[in-house]
Amino acid sequence: MVLRIRLARFGNKHDPFYNIVVAQARSARGAKPLEVIGTFNPIPKQPTNLYNENANARAYKEIALDRSRAKYWLGVGAQPSDPVWKLLSMAGLVEKKPATYEKA
Amino acid sequence: MAPRIQSRRVSNALLPYLTSPSSSPSVLSIPSLSSSSQYLSRQFSATAAPQTKLRRQMFEWLSTSGAVLKHHTPGQTNYLRNFLNDEGGGDRPFPSNPTFTSENILSEELRNEIYVLVVEKKKSVRAVSVQLGVDMKRIAAVVRLVELEKRQRAQGKPIALPYARSVHEMVPTTPLAQDGERQQFHEPINDLPAHPTTGPQIFYPVPESRSFTRVDAGRVFSGAPSLEREVAEKITHPSDLAEKAIENPNSIEWVGKGDNARQVLQPADVRIPHPQLVKLELDRAAHPEERREVGKRHAERMERQEKAEQERRERAAARREKSIKHVEPEGGRFDYRFSDAVFTAETTGKDGRAPWASGRRYGVPTNDRKRGVVKIPTRVEA
Amino acid sequence: MRNRASTSLAKAKIRQSWSKYNLYNMQRFRNPGTVNRTFFQQKWTAKALSRAYHGEQVREGQWKRMFSKRIRSVIPMNTNDLAADDGSKASAGRGSGLEKAEKGITKRLTPYTQMAFAPLERRLDVAIFRSLFASSTRQARQFVIHGAVTVNGHKMRHPSYLLNPGDLFQVDPERVMFATGAPKTKFERRETRQLKQKAEETEAETEEAKEAVEQEDKAENTKDTLKALMAQAKNIMSKDKDVLPAKRKQELRGFQKAVRRVLSRSETSTVLTDNLETQFSELTLLLKAKRAEKAPKESKKDKKGSTEEKAVVEESEGASDALSEAFKSAAQGGEVDTSELSDEEFDVLKRALTQMRDNPIDNSKTYATPWRPRDFMSAFAFIPRYLEVNQNICAAVYLRHPVARPGSAEVPTPFGEAVSTPAYGWYLKRRW
Repeated sequence: MVLRIRLARFGNKHDPFYNIVVAQARSARGAKPLEVIGTFNPIPKQPTNLYNENANARAYKEIALDRSRAKYWLGVGAQPSDPVWKLLSMAGLVEKKPATYEKA
Repeated sequence: MAPRIQSRRVSNALLPYLTSPSSSPSVLSIPSLSSSSQYLSRQFSATAAPQTKLRRQMFEWLSTSGAVLKHHTPGQTNYLRNFLNDEGGGDRPFPSNPTFTSENILSEELRNEIYVLVVEKKKSVRAVSVQLGVDMKRIAAVVRLVELEKRQRAQGKPIALPYARSVHEMVPTTPLAQDGERQQFHEPINDLPAHPTTGPQIFYPVPESRSFTRVDAGRVFSGAPSLEREVAEKITHPSDLAEKAIENPNSIEWVGKGDNARQVLQPADVRIPHPQLVKLELDRAAHPEERREVGKRHAERMERQEKAEQERRERAAARREKSIKHVEPEGGRFDYRFSDAVFTAETTGKDGRAPWASGRRYGVPTNDRKRGVVKIPTRVEA
Repeated sequence: MRNRASTSLAKAKIRQSWSKYNLYNMQRFRNPGTVNRTFFQQKWTAKALSRAYHGEQVREGQWKRMFSKRIRSVIPMNTNDLAADDGSKASAGRGSGLEKAEKGITKRLTPYTQMAFAPLERRLDVAIFRSLFASSTRQARQFVIHGAVTVNGHKMRHPSYLLNPGDLFQVDPERVMFATGAPKTKFERRETRQLKQKAEETEAETEEAKEAVEQEDKAENTKDTLKALMAQAKNIMSKDKDVLPAKRKQELRGFQKAVRRVLSRSETSTVLTDNLETQFSELTLLLKAKRAEKAPKESKKDKKGSTEEKAVVEESEGASDALSEAFKSAAQGGEVDTSELSDEEFDVLKRALTQMRDNPIDNSKTYATPWRPRDFMSAFAFIPRYLEVNQNICAAVYLRHPVARPGSAEVPTPFGEAVSTPAYGWYLKRRW
């Protein structure tokens, strides 16, 4: 059995919210995972600082991650799914995957 | 609903705000038509007008003693008068509620002065608050609002100028002092909030020979043991505690265990918004001759405390900044902010279902449709 | 939710509204009697009265959940007193101080029960009404639901949002002007309709009209123009209150036209097509230039004033030089004009101009223009201390929760303690 680090969708219709979980690859998305190691909010937030508004301030997405647990699970061979790979690579835990069009 | 009767007694008074503020109070001469003349507007109607006695009385009042309330005189309040003693109309908007008064608002000039002092002259909020007698929270709000106003003006957004002017004419305002005048204080700045633990009356016997100060009273209220003799003797005045508490708020002692843990109630000298003023008064009383020296010491103290406060703020900001990692991927539309989270038995509970754990939980019913649970946002991030 | 808020005269209830019916009801309100009534009856009446005013738009169950028996209060401290006594004097002897309290100083009691409805003041719709942005809480509620209100820069569509200390809320200024301004008369409404109908035709017409005006101008003497301008400005600023609004409007329009005429003389025809703002600044520049010419003549009279004026002019001289030249050449008898314009007249003209810029006639607005406060607004105009309001941009900050202090309570309520105490007592007991 393969262990995967993947996203589990929560939240409501049009209001997604993800737990970053470690689970058996063949288990259901909503099933109880082995462990929750983080959260990911895909709804971008606008930085609104009323005091000094930056015209070019970019929207941001929030991620909470337990880095030590993520390292541990990667060390024992858990395989991140593509979206999680993207997040983990930005957190500096795995190498960045080359973009698909660069392969060809 | 009964059909409305067109009130034709609307006066054609010239706009009151057009007159210069120095103009004499306008005596409104409203052509008070008697209520019978209202029927004129319905003279072709076959049915009788449904003018009840109450309506007649109301329009009569509105055209006689109520007529003064229709338009205001710039610079004066125009409230209902008290029916018992025909005085009033002063600063009490509600005749039967003597405990509510219409309080001054900041005038436009004073507001701009606060902005100039804080933003352009870089004075601290605390100093400006003492100088002008304006609450510190209000100063922060004024700076925010003036900043917003400037931005909106620059963007060419609509501004409600005539409205603002007439509100400032109707409501009492605190003016900015002219050169050489003393600034009128806007509001009391040293308000001590009543702490809930001081609610119950406590019977606490003390020997008559012992001096029982505010520090001791605070300890009694919060159920802390009385101070050790050596410690108590070092405190000559309750305001001695203030400096320490300002420089390091974590130094305040705790009592109780678990959920019952609470900080020891501090004396009023520490809890008021401007504790440094007590020290200044003490210093003044001790050295009535050397006013300049006292002022200098006060300025030094203020500077030291502000520096400590600033450092603390910076440390907190740095800590916050450190815990969040900003990632700006190339070519992407969004930034990503990684914050550290800890998912262990302590943070998620033994079964991983603790309600306080971060992330959504498994096997826990969501309460979002329950009766009595607030479903609308409870706060909006600035 | 059905609107039960209509103010009736038969069953008089005081509402959070600026209506004249409400004012009349407030004026004839008397405390309910207590003779021959049980305590329950007294509490019931008091509750009904105060709930008709406080949170009439809130369901009873919702309010009961919000109610808190804890009441916030503060005591203003005097640093002098704190420095003079460390508390041991007050607790000396048998616990109440050695010396007896001074006579004459009567301690003011804190009216705690006047704060019974303080939790409702946190609501967004109530706070909007308290900041004088809406003429009733119902209207404030509508503004929120219709999306005209932002909290901390985000649109907030829940009128029951409970403001937190430090929250900044802002209402669309146009809505505020509509809510607090006098309504349109039926003539003005008709004008608006006509304005809409003629929207397409106007463009062609205005150009023709302009030409006509210009031709007229050439025939007219400049001196007369300035005189007419002055006369009209004076008329506008006059304190005579018997002028009909329609007539006033005509005057205002005439004034506007006259201003345009003067501007056209100065050969900066581009100004005409520009917006009012630039027109205004141009005209003030012109006037200042005229003042500068005039200043040296009467410098002995009021040296201070004129020098200040001069300084201002010198700043903008680069821009106004050409203009003043143009003006001079246009007004052949320049000397006559300047001597005719006295200080007072100049002030009047300036004020009229400012008025015209800030508060123009605009039939496309939803309220009567030029804007004036609605009738009886002043009787309800007060802003409680826990709000800091900037009327220019129609924004306010909720500073803190309302508090009681010795002698006064910050929750605005039309009822005295004879009503608020039994009402508070009603909610203290749990009946559900």
